[in-house]
Amino acid sequence: MALKKRIFVISFLITVLLFSAVLLLGKYLDDSRKTYVNEQMQIINDLNELQVYALMTDVYGDKMACVAFSKKLEEWDKSLWTLGSKLETYRVATEEFQKDPFYLEQKKKFNENEVLYLMFLTKVRKDCDLNQDIISFFYQNSADCKKCDDQSYILTDIKLELEGNVSIFSFDGDLELQNTQILMDYYGITQYPCIVVNEEKFCGIQDKKFIISKLRNKG
Amino acid sequence: MNVVYNALVYGVWFIATFYVVTLTLVMLTDKKRLHEKKEWKFKTNPRVTVLVPAYNEEHKIKYTIDSLRKIKYDNIEIIVINDGSKDKTSAVVNACIKGDKRFKFIDRQNNKGKAASLNDGIAESTGEFIATMDADSIVEPGMFQKVLPYFHDKKVGAVTVSVLVKKPKTLLHKIFELEYVIGLSLYLKVFSFMDAVFVTPGPFSVYRKTVLDEIKGFDPGNITEDLEIAYRLQKKHYKIENCMDAKVYTILPPTFRQVCVQRKRWYSGAILTVKKHRSMLLNSKYGIFGYVIFLNYMLIFLGLTLFGISLFLAGKRIVNNIGYYSYTGIPLMEWLRHYQFDVLSFSGIAILGWIAILFTLATLIIGLTVSRTDMRRKKTGAIGFMLLFFLYQLFWIIAIAAVIRGRKIKWR
Repeated sequence: MALKKRIFVISFLITVLLFSAVLLLGKYLDDSRKTYVNEQMQIINDLNELQVYALMTDVYGDKMACVAFSKKLEEWDKSLWTLGSKLETYRVATEEFQKDPFYLEQKKKFNENEVLYLMFLTKVRKDCDLNQDIISFFYQNSADCKKCDDQSYILTDIKLELEGNVSIFSFDGDLELQNTQILMDYYGITQYPCIVVNEEKFCGIQDKKFIISKLRNKG
Repeated sequence: MNVVYNALVYGVWFIATFYVVTLTLVMLTDKKRLHEKKEWKFKTNPRVTVLVPAYNEEHKIKYTIDSLRKIKYDNIEIIVINDGSKDKTSAVVNACIKGDKRFKFIDRQNNKGKAASLNDGIAESTGEFIATMDADSIVEPGMFQKVLPYFHDKKVGAVTVSVLVKKPKTLLHKIFELEYVIGLSLYLKVFSFMDAVFVTPGPFSVYRKTVLDEIKGFDPGNITEDLEIAYRLQKKHYKIENCMDAKVYTILPPTFRQVCVQRKRWYSGAILTVKKHRSMLLNSKYGIFGYVIFLNYMLIFLGLTLFGISLFLAGKRIVNNIGYYSYTGIPLMEWLRHYQFDVLSFSGIAILGWIAILFTLATLIIGLTVSRTDMRRKKTGAIGFMLLFFLYQLFWIIAIAAVIRGRKIKWR
């Protein structure tokens, strides 16, 4: 019986050890996720190159600058999309018991950067006659906007299919960011979900076929 | 919901890991005793009675009787009890035992149930030890030479053996074959090390006759008499030993539906038995037994709750996805084209899940190794072994529903 008691104690200790190892691994992954997000956020925060290209097009109207600009925008578009997707995936993977303020903060920064890139892209598209489709998606959390998740899914599907030919920017109305609010006022958005496809506004859920019909590049 | 669900996952993982680690440690600590051979100290061969209750077993009982005829033990009587079968069991038994004086046949017209049949057999028996055997099982010839020496210890009330599956053919049978190797062979031995055996399996178990008399035989009101009697033996502080190297082979029900019916009987019987003997739960008077049983059923209950919530969440997700696909179709090619393995996307729960799967496989491999099972022919079953978790939930849900509805469940 004494031996059995010892076995129970040892088993308990082993279980606690294993459990702690799992928790530590979880913590390590949490930290790694945050490091990754911080690093990527750092990359998209680096605006020097963008500003140089923008100035070059303004000053020289140089075709070379447009070529370089469009190529660079392609990279940024990919980085933005990947980071946006990862932010959501990592937030879900991290938040098991409570909301992590880190992701809310990053989402705000990300949304601010999105506005910035949207502005650059819109300008370059005009200046360099770039054949790039732009979709802006305005949404709210799924509890208040039942169709927002559906619209988000449809847009993700379009992005996966058309890849670099279309740039999609998502703006969370719940974050109440000033620059997002300006965009919403500009396009006259008063309800969710709403999308702006190449400057044309459509509110309520829009299906894939309809959205693609409004694009220049149809895949 | 999220917090409750996640807390439940972590809780179940902790308890299940503790349970499995304990059993593995007990097994490895007493590894030498797993295949121990007890010395034969009887001066003369004690008399043994084998009881074979049968109900509608015309297709299988021939094999059972054939195996009993090959038993290498001279002081034996075998009593076959026909429990009012509606098929040709009676005729088959008569033909099989003809001319063999070791056999007696109680051929009853009315159906009284398995426990009552066994009690009738006990009343007719002359053996010092009573072996009970299902009429769909096949026993080894040298069984009693291995099992009876365990009774030299006067505290031993019953001895169980390894219950294995006879010629598994379908995937389902191959999965259950492994379940039997681990659950009804190896772990019975491990539980015996802790004095916590909670079943004396129906396919073959041996009891001391005086003990059966003392506890008044099997409970006719219980549909899992082999489980219920184990609780009463533990209540009376009798030891239940296991002889792992003595083997009985059982023929599994051929169809999934019949397997469900069998499991419904086992699991609803288990619920009713625990209800009847609930005073034993967490009762230190019965040693580790009360704690093991509590842990067992707590895990089953929590596992079921977890399964139910997971099923609800998965269902909700499927409904959502169906909604999404109605806009786009199922973008299978897009998923495959864009899929990237990212270890950082693993949540804590996903890690627990993967570790649980690895643990299960490790437990299976350790179990098969120490039980000296030839693993080469068990690959198919091992691949499907994880399915058992889902099957258990299904069986338990069916059994709980049957108990709640109060439907009478027969032993066949």
